[in-house]
Amino acid sequence: MHKPLRKIVIVGGGSAGWLTAGIIAAEHSTDPNSGIEVTLVESADVAPIGVGEGTWPSMRSTLKKMGICETDFLLECDASFKQGSKFSNWYTNTNEHYYHPFTLPHGFNDTNLAPFWQPYRDKVSFADAVSVQSHLGEHGLAPKQISTAEYDFNANYGYHLDAGKFAGLLQKHCTTKLAVKHIIDHVTQVNSSQTGDIASITTKNHGDIAGDLFIDCTGTSSLLLAKHYGVPFVSTKHILFNDSALAVHVPHPDPDSHIASFTCSTAQTAGWIWDIGLPSRRGVGYTYSSTHITDLDAEKELRDYITPIMGESAAQSAKIRKIAFSPGHRAKFWHKNCVAVGLSAGFIEPLEATALALIELSAKMISEQLPADREAMDLVAKRFNAKFLHRWGNVVDFLKLHYVLSKRTDSEYWRQISDVTQLPDTLKEQLLLWKTQAPYHYDSTHTEEMFPPASFQYILYGMGFITQPSYTKRVDESKKAQILFAENVKHTKQLLSALPSNRELLNKIKLYGLPKI
Amino acid sequence: MANTEPLNSIDHQHIKIITERSEKYGDNLWYSLTFPAEFRSVQAYYPIFFNKDVNTGEFFAVAMFGFQEKENLFLTNDKWDAPYVPLSVARQPFLIGLQKVNEDGQDKEQRVLHIDVSHPRVNQEQGQALFLEFGGNTPYLDTVADMLEAIHHGMVDSKLFINLLIEYELLEPFTLEIELNDKTQNQMVGFYIISEDKVSELSGEKLAILHAKGYLQAIYMAIASQSNIRGLLNRKNAQLGL
Repeated sequence: MHKPLRKIVIVGGGSAGWLTAGIIAAEHSTDPNSGIEVTLVESADVAPIGVGEGTWPSMRSTLKKMGICETDFLLECDASFKQGSKFSNWYTNTNEHYYHPFTLPHGFNDTNLAPFWQPYRDKVSFADAVSVQSHLGEHGLAPKQISTAEYDFNANYGYHLDAGKFAGLLQKHCTTKLAVKHIIDHVTQVNSSQTGDIASITTKNHGDIAGDLFIDCTGTSSLLLAKHYGVPFVSTKHILFNDSALAVHVPHPDPDSHIASFTCSTAQTAGWIWDIGLPSRRGVGYTYSSTHITDLDAEKELRDYITPIMGESAAQSAKIRKIAFSPGHRAKFWHKNCVAVGLSAGFIEPLEATALALIELSAKMISEQLPADREAMDLVAKRFNAKFLHRWGNVVDFLKLHYVLSKRTDSEYWRQISDVTQLPDTLKEQLLLWKTQAPYHYDSTHTEEMFPPASFQYILYGMGFITQPSYTKRVDESKKAQILFAENVKHTKQLLSALPSNRELLNKIKLYGLPKI
Repeated sequence: MANTEPLNSIDHQHIKIITERSEKYGDNLWYSLTFPAEFRSVQAYYPIFFNKDVNTGEFFAVAMFGFQEKENLFLTNDKWDAPYVPLSVARQPFLIGLQKVNEDGQDKEQRVLHIDVSHPRVNQEQGQALFLEFGGNTPYLDTVADMLEAIHHGMVDSKLFINLLIEYELLEPFTLEIELNDKTQNQMVGFYIISEDKVSELSGEKLAILHAKGYLQAIYMAIASQSNIRGLLNRKNAQLGL
């Protein structure tokens, strides 16, 4: 019998480190005699990067499993509800927009409405026809009521949040409720054992910290996986060009200003601007390709965007922070007894908020597949690497889909990024199939796919893609489809009259909290 | 629309209150508020459920009179067919309002009896008088004042009670399957009950806390009240002639 895995050392705090700590410690006993021990070492000198203010709906179950009260989370993290993304000017740059909501098309599990919507494409948008959520978006409504129990919903949702405050809340919860040990110290050295595993890390003030499994949450510096082990980086810059971002905080014009519960993504000359509504401010940023636009010109476009919100002089003087990144991921994520989670594993770009989602998925798999001993670890590592290479591939394809469907030709950036000859093979094949069949359940080739086929539908049909089926069905299902469309209209009406605005609901949550049941 | 005023013996000197029970006086209530101190009286006739305030999401206890909006199965031929009428119904048209007063230089809130003068029970011809001819309250008004005090303290206590129920995870949503004698089936959703199973799994420590606060009795009263669902169904069948 091999020595059982007991000590897990997470290097680095931030959302990645604390989410990973929380997910593992919430699932496994941390009993001093028989359980595991989770230690998180973070440096006081390294400021977390603090981007990634959007989550997926998966964050609800992640927080619930950790035992975090949703009211506390919403209030302490300056969080609001996210119901999906709204894309403006991505398709033709003519003030058009489309929605990618979190709710699946109505009746999605038994009926694929996409082919039945196609004849009405000029009359109603796909999202409006098949879901309630784009309507909620247009009316600024919340996904639930004050009487809806915490984590329950009328319309599926994730969050917009202040990442710095989020890490703080997780830290408090992990250390006080989940017995995670917290060491604030600077890692000065990584020490190998004879087998090439990491035996311990040396810290400035706490000496050597030994462990059985090391989780690298050190951000873009990737201290263990990249610096120590030299695992190579796979760049995706040739597919997804964005490598820079300018971020700015924009105050609400007044305390009762409307809060959008969709991440508004507005395409620009050489990238796109995100606009995220939090209760206390808006987080706005321009992510762009430094090969296609200068920082100065990008800054001008960003200031132009925020001018109507905050006025000319405030927009001109607003403090803008520049973040540079290399889009891509590591060639593998788990090597020996070290696994990377978060930016240390990779980062492509903020589109579709995949960063926090990938952290949740990584931590979940590490926790659920936690190897019993060192022998099992290599097998789990192999699975983990295969799973996450597939997932990163999915991310690249899905993000690229947003660009390749664009008809914009107004800049070199858009001409090049929408060039259909420069696609990953996997995406090329899918696009070919989708010409004659709408995405549906067969498009999920693995369990727990990152993007459900519904997401492909929302993007494709939001951006004018045409699917022309080549066969006629023996049984005409159009009656059934008409019923589903009519139900969606009815359901939309009900929710439009029953749901409060995001601001109203958040104000009530401050007063009463969300009920536990 | 309610039109509430602080009660005083000058403006309201000649007011009388009709105390009969009838739909025309707004007694066609599906349910009404109740609180632990009243559970013993309420559970003799009515199921006690829990419900959320749609405006705040907060829970409150209710005495059930029917299965749907505006259905009070205890209201027959302009009579309330049960010996006990919950205080939150009996108090109509009075309520407690808070008034700011300055006492010894300090701003304080004081509970003051208010009356909804637009309530259909309010008139000058028939019913119970409020004030005696030469000043002073009638015994009826004193009873009303006592009721409102009881409701006020009862609601404060109810909040603490329900917070404990939630903390100990004793409340659970339930769906009431209603099958009438003619086999028609309906569902009533949106209410919560105290789970007997969860109460039986409580630790001795938690039971002791509930007992010390007097809530253990209220919990069992609420559980026992569930047997009144049968009586409510009988009334519904009788009303429909089934």
